[in-house]
Amino acid sequence: MPTQSPAERLFTLTCCLMAAPRQGLSKQDLFDAVPGYHDARNTDAREKMFDRDKDTLRDMGVRLEIVHVDSFDDAEASRYVIGRGSFDWPAELSLNSNQLALVELAAKAWNNQLFATSAKSGLTRLKARGIVEADRELSFISPRLLARHAAFSPLAEAISESKVVVLEYRKADGDQKLRELEPAKLRLIEGEWVLLARERGQIKNFLLRRIVSKVKLTEEQFKPASDEEIAQAEADLIALVAQQEAEIEVLEDSEAFWHFGAQATRITLHYMDEALLAEDLLEFGSEVSVIGPEGLKERIHSRLEAVIATHA
Amino acid sequence: MPKQEIDGSELFNLSLTILGLVLEEGDQNVKELAERFSFSERVIRKAVDAVSNSEDLSKCDTHFYLNYDAYEEEDIVSFSSGNTNLAGPPSLSKRQLSSIAIGLDYLASLPQFETSSDLAELRRQIRESAPTPVTSIKSPRGAELSEKIQHAISTAVQISCEYRNQSGEQSTRLIDPLRMEFIGRRQYLRGYCHKNSDVRAFRLDRILSLELTANPISPEAAAAHIPDEVFGEGHGELEVTIAAQPEAEQIFWNFPTSGPQRGEDGRTVGKILVGNLRALPRHIVRYGGLVEVLAPKEAREEVRLFAQRVLEPAAVKGVD
Repeated sequence: MPTQSPAERLFTLTCCLMAAPRQGLSKQDLFDAVPGYHDARNTDAREKMFDRDKDTLRDMGVRLEIVHVDSFDDAEASRYVIGRGSFDWPAELSLNSNQLALVELAAKAWNNQLFATSAKSGLTRLKARGIVEADRELSFISPRLLARHAAFSPLAEAISESKVVVLEYRKADGDQKLRELEPAKLRLIEGEWVLLARERGQIKNFLLRRIVSKVKLTEEQFKPASDEEIAQAEADLIALVAQQEAEIEVLEDSEAFWHFGAQATRITLHYMDEALLAEDLLEFGSEVSVIGPEGLKERIHSRLEAVIATHA
Repeated sequence: MPKQEIDGSELFNLSLTILGLVLEEGDQNVKELAERFSFSERVIRKAVDAVSNSEDLSKCDTHFYLNYDAYEEEDIVSFSSGNTNLAGPPSLSKRQLSSIAIGLDYLASLPQFETSSDLAELRRQIRESAPTPVTSIKSPRGAELSEKIQHAISTAVQISCEYRNQSGEQSTRLIDPLRMEFIGRRQYLRGYCHKNSDVRAFRLDRILSLELTANPISPEAAAAHIPDEVFGEGHGELEVTIAAQPEAEQIFWNFPTSGPQRGEDGRTVGKILVGNLRALPRHIVRYGGLVEVLAPKEAREEVRLFAQRVLEPAAVKGVD
């Protein structure tokens, strides 16, 4: 019978690290102090257990840092401490019952294992903020965040660990290049997953579906983009969408007519990406015709020709 | 109760949270903690045990002392600090925060929550910036429809609606509404359809009009199981083999599939199941050549004709 469950081991590890002297504790110090590590079958199993625990601690918001000190003994050279600010409550955060219901809904929406787990543990944390019961009003609404792109999980990991990634990206015009990016944030916009990432000092938007290779995490770390930088990039995208206008005509009482709001046959649309808009319009076939811009008209024309050529 | 209600790391998270709560706000009752965190009392006790069993073997230090009398006799969780610097739970990790923030961003983009001040405030609290979501189609009609449906669900009454399925056939349906679902930016009503005697998914943008009736929802509906996958109406038994470029791979997520998919010359090849061939072309044409129908031949033909009809409306004769 083991002396400690995994949760107990993790908790003890955290407490020992919190009580550590300024120079931190070595791995051996921790193995001696935490009863759970005595249960490991052998040295190898103990090392693996410790590696997993470090990841879990970080996933749960404990900022585990490594301090390198001069030592003849390799095992003593890396010492562990918990970073400042790890145990600060989120400042002034307080939720009412409707807001708690919204957070629950946001957490429940995830179909991605990794994010569903994080959202759920985050929710547990937030539930300690004074609210006991969530509003029931939203219980029959079921939003879903489907994150099935293979690129999703490695990018999420790169974001939390601030690691540079390398990937092949193919633009809508077919131009394919190897890109080295510093991922900052994943967003779902208009049903499309968008990665906000820094490339050579500049923050840009990338569509996950245009990533055509595996995402490779490098060992190189970067300084994460600040909240201001991210906010600016998001505001820029909104400004771009506001500026990009397409005019279309839909057949009255057709499916497109209802889809686009069913108020008039002449509709102005704002869009983020011309190729994505073209896809949405192509689906409605002859029910939609593009008045402008010219580029969109041509794109739809050439896409239709491509369909015919592919199916000849 | 499932055997494994909670895993080790989540239990650790719960331990930290309960400890923080007790240290910040004083003693807590086990039953109330169970209600608050939506776990069983057994799990709450396991989390409490993790805190009380924590000790440093090398120094023989106990980190927290649990008041066992209060715990065992009155179900009260009361900790006092032993040798520890831990005074509260850790702040949320980047991933915890971002998974919730992305979820909230997504909610904010749904018509349902467009005007929710609680959501706006929440997003401001969780992150410093709260950008307006990027939306291109504003549909007051959609918002009105979903409001009506929500009302029908919460009062458990049947609705009557004009629905046009993806083959363009229009009919009046009696539906017992059960749930509203948002997938990506598509909005669905999941409900028990009396025409099909089964639970179906209805796209909101295909509902032409909708009225609430005075009839309560049927017992069949109340007992119905809502399948997890949403493929809308009209998907079915016809097998179509397609090949998709990476950018269009998501087409496989929108249909029920048959058998595994495989990689071939940089494309993903696999079989999807469709209801009828006439409803298929739009889903293929959408990707403008990035998806190819390989078989059957008639399906390829339908796709080509669909594209040709758009390009040269007058040139293509025959089936409409």
